[in-house]
Amino acid sequence: MSMRPGGELATRPLHFIWMADCSGSMDVDGKIQSLNTAIKEAIPNMQTVADENPNAQVLVRAIKFSSGAQWHVSQPTEVADFRWEDLTAEGVTDMGKALTMVAEQLRIPPMTERALPPVLVLISDGQPTDDYASGLKALMGEPWGRKAVRIAIAIGEDADTEVLQKFIGNPELKPLQANNPEALVKYIKWVSTAVLKSASSPASQTSDSATPGMNVPIPVLPESVPASADDVW
Amino acid sequence: MAVDKHTARWRVVGHSVRGATHERAGVPNQDAIHWLPESSAGLPLILAVADGHGSHKSFRSETGARLAVETAAQVINDFLLGQAQTESLSVTKRAAEEWLPAALTRRWLAAVSAHLAAHPLVADELKLAPDIHGTSRSDAPSNPPVVYGTTILAAAVTTGFIIYLQLGDGEILTVSKEGAVTRPLSKDERLFANETTSLCSPDAWRDFRVCFQVVSNAPPSLILLCTDGYSNSFHDEQGFLKVGTDILDMIRADGLEMVNEHLASWLTESTYAGSGDDVTLGLILNQDEERHASVEHEV
Repeated sequence: MSMRPGGELATRPLHFIWMADCSGSMDVDGKIQSLNTAIKEAIPNMQTVADENPNAQVLVRAIKFSSGAQWHVSQPTEVADFRWEDLTAEGVTDMGKALTMVAEQLRIPPMTERALPPVLVLISDGQPTDDYASGLKALMGEPWGRKAVRIAIAIGEDADTEVLQKFIGNPELKPLQANNPEALVKYIKWVSTAVLKSASSPASQTSDSATPGMNVPIPVLPESVPASADDVW
Repeated sequence: MAVDKHTARWRVVGHSVRGATHERAGVPNQDAIHWLPESSAGLPLILAVADGHGSHKSFRSETGARLAVETAAQVINDFLLGQAQTESLSVTKRAAEEWLPAALTRRWLAAVSAHLAAHPLVADELKLAPDIHGTSRSDAPSNPPVVYGTTILAAAVTTGFIIYLQLGDGEILTVSKEGAVTRPLSKDERLFANETTSLCSPDAWRDFRVCFQVVSNAPPSLILLCTDGYSNSFHDEQGFLKVGTDILDMIRADGLEMVNEHLASWLTESTYAGSGDDVTLGLILNQDEERHASVEHEV
C-alpha cells in the first residue's frame, strides 16, 4: 500500500502586497528613487526568509497609486521570480482606489481560507486625495482584509499619519516614520524579513484577543533612526 | 474485564507527527492524541486529539495539549459511567451538551494549575521571549492557562449514541458505509487566519461545539479526528475530504492494521509537502458496519 489518502498536497500561500504612493510629491528630494532602491535591496532578504520556510509559499504583488491606482505587479509572483521595475511619480494621491483594488483581490475566492494571513505594506508621503474611507471600508469588509498584517510607512513629515493609523487598525502599532533614505531602507527591510517570517509561522493565537490584528505577532520594531541633519524629507 | 464480542468490533488507531516547520526550528510536536480503552478496542470508545497553540505566549502548549487529551478522555469516560443507568437519551444528550464542556474545561484548568504548581515557570522560559512588539513572555503569567493554550477535539462511541465535541480548530469527519463524508459539527466562523478558540480562554466552555448522535440504523463506518495541520496540508477542501473515503476504501482492501502501519509516513509527507504544522490523525472504525458492507457486497 503506497498510495497516500486524500487529494493534492500544497504549501500555504502567503500574499505580500506593496502599496506604493507614486504622487508627484514622491518625486521631490528623491523619495521615489529611495523607495525603488529600498524595495530592490529587500528582495534578496525576502527570498532568504522564504527559503527558510518552504511550507509558506510567498507570493508578491505591488500596486501603485497617484491619479487613480494601477497594479504594478498584478500577478501573485513567487518571491524567487519577483523583480522590481522602478516606479515613477506624478499626479495626486488616490489611496482609496488602491485600497479598493486590494480589497477585491482579498476576497474568498480568489483567496482561500487555508492561506496564511496576507501582509499589506502601505507607503505614503501625503494626504489622500480621494475617498480613502470608502477604500478602507471595502478592505476591512473582507475577512482577509481584517486579518491581514497591515504595516504603514510614512515618508516625511507631510504624510497623513492619522490615515495610516486607521489603515493599521491596531492602536499598539504606529506608522513607521521614515525621514531619510536610511530609515526607509531599514523599515522596508524589517517588513520584508521580520514581519514576513512571523506571518509565515503556523502558530495559533487565541481568538479572544482584545487587540485587533494580533493573529500574527508583530516583531519588535526596528529602532527609529534619530532625526539629524541628514533628514531630507 | 471481558469485552463484548459485538462492541469489540469498534477499533481506534491514530498517530501524531512533528511538523516540518517545527523540525527545522527545533520545536517539539505540540499536538497530542489519546484514547480509551488503552486496548484500542471495545465500547465505550473515546478518542481525543489536541493542538497546542505554539505561539510565543503558549510556550507550554505541548504539555497543555497532552493534559487536554488525557483530561478529555477521562472526563468523558466518567460521564459515560454516570449515564449508564439513564434510560432517557434526551437526558443524556442535554447532559452531554451542558455538563461535558464545563467539566472538561474545569478539569483541564485544574490539571494545568497542578502542573504549574509542580513545575513553576522558570527564568529560562521567560527569558526565551521572542522579539514580539508590545508584549513579552513575562506578560503570560498574569493569565497562567494561556501558557498551556490548546484546542481539544473528542469523539465517544457507545452502543446507543456517539458524542462529538470540539473547541478550537481541527476537523471531525464521519464516513458512511456508502463512503459519504460529512461533518457532524457546524462551522465556527471564528476559526480563521491562525485564530482559534481555546481551553485557555475565559469561559472556554461556552465555545464548545457538541453533537449528540443516536446510533440508529446507519452509524458511521469511520470517524476521523485531526488537527488543522492535516487539513491545511491539502490544496483544497475536496482533497481533504477525500481522505475519508480513501481511508475507508484502504481499510476495506487491506485492513486497519495496514492503514495504521502507514499513518506515520502519510502524515509526515503531508506536513513536509503541505502546512509544515504538526499533524495528528485519529481513526475510529466500526468493523460491524464494515462486515455488513462486505456481506452486502458479496451478495
